[in-house]
Amino acid sequence: MDLSGGNLGVVVVNLIIWTGIFLWLLRLSRRVREMEKES
Amino acid sequence: MKTISAWLLWLWVSLVIVGAFYYAPLAEGFQGGSSRILFFHVPMAWASFAGFIAAAVWSVRYLMTRDLRHDRSAYVAVQLGLVFGVLATITGAIWARIEWGAYWNWDPRQTSILISLLFYGAYLALRGAVEDPEKRARLSAAYAILGLVVTPFLYWIMPRLTFSLHPEPVVNAEGKPKMQSEILQVLMASGIGFTALFFWLHNLQTRIQALAERKSAAREQGYGS
Repeated sequence: MDLSGGNLGVVVVNLIIWTGIFLWLLRLSRRVREMEKES
Repeated sequence: MKTISAWLLWLWVSLVIVGAFYYAPLAEGFQGGSSRILFFHVPMAWASFAGFIAAAVWSVRYLMTRDLRHDRSAYVAVQLGLVFGVLATITGAIWARIEWGAYWNWDPRQTSILISLLFYGAYLALRGAVEDPEKRARLSAAYAILGLVVTPFLYWIMPRLTFSLHPEPVVNAEGKPKMQSEILQVLMASGIGFTALFFWLHNLQTRIQALAERKSAAREQGYGS
């Protein structure tokens, strides 16, 4: 796998967006769990 | 979803992203790297289709049991089906701009997904128009079951009835995918990732919906007393 080349920037941006969405979902999941416990 | 499973999903999708650019070769006959959108566009369309079919299945279960939890699951499946359907339409339009020169061409594939989105948009409108939860669940279940006929027709049959510029679907008329094995591997991995993401989102949204319903019921009780 050759990681040099023009696609590296696109891959990094894609990974950042995906990680951002993922962390937001993880936080939401935790919040929902807390709210379920409270109610 | 347990935190460890969630992190496994993160790793899986991350590997799909890397694989789409560094493992799978470019498909022949496409301009530049436009074929790479396939790894995201096709699984999004698949997740949308799965959402609409799952909604019909949950609707059948609701009619059999009259358990409003199934109605809630069907509702959320339609919501997610619409989200993934819109994303598939957008990614398809971007691809069409590169390959066909215009974002929208009224190609049978584009037309059928648009009709499908309108059909399920009407499902949401129907739900919004009925206040009584039992009546709303019954009517929307019947509508979603109708989707069991409409969705396969729009996704699989209609685009094959007329000439289309759209590339051959993954499972074509001969029932065999015609693509290099590396492309197929990344595509399948992406399909699995998107399906898992769909069910995670479904689980979350169903629970949020349940919390909202409980809260609004408590508020109504408060007003009543």
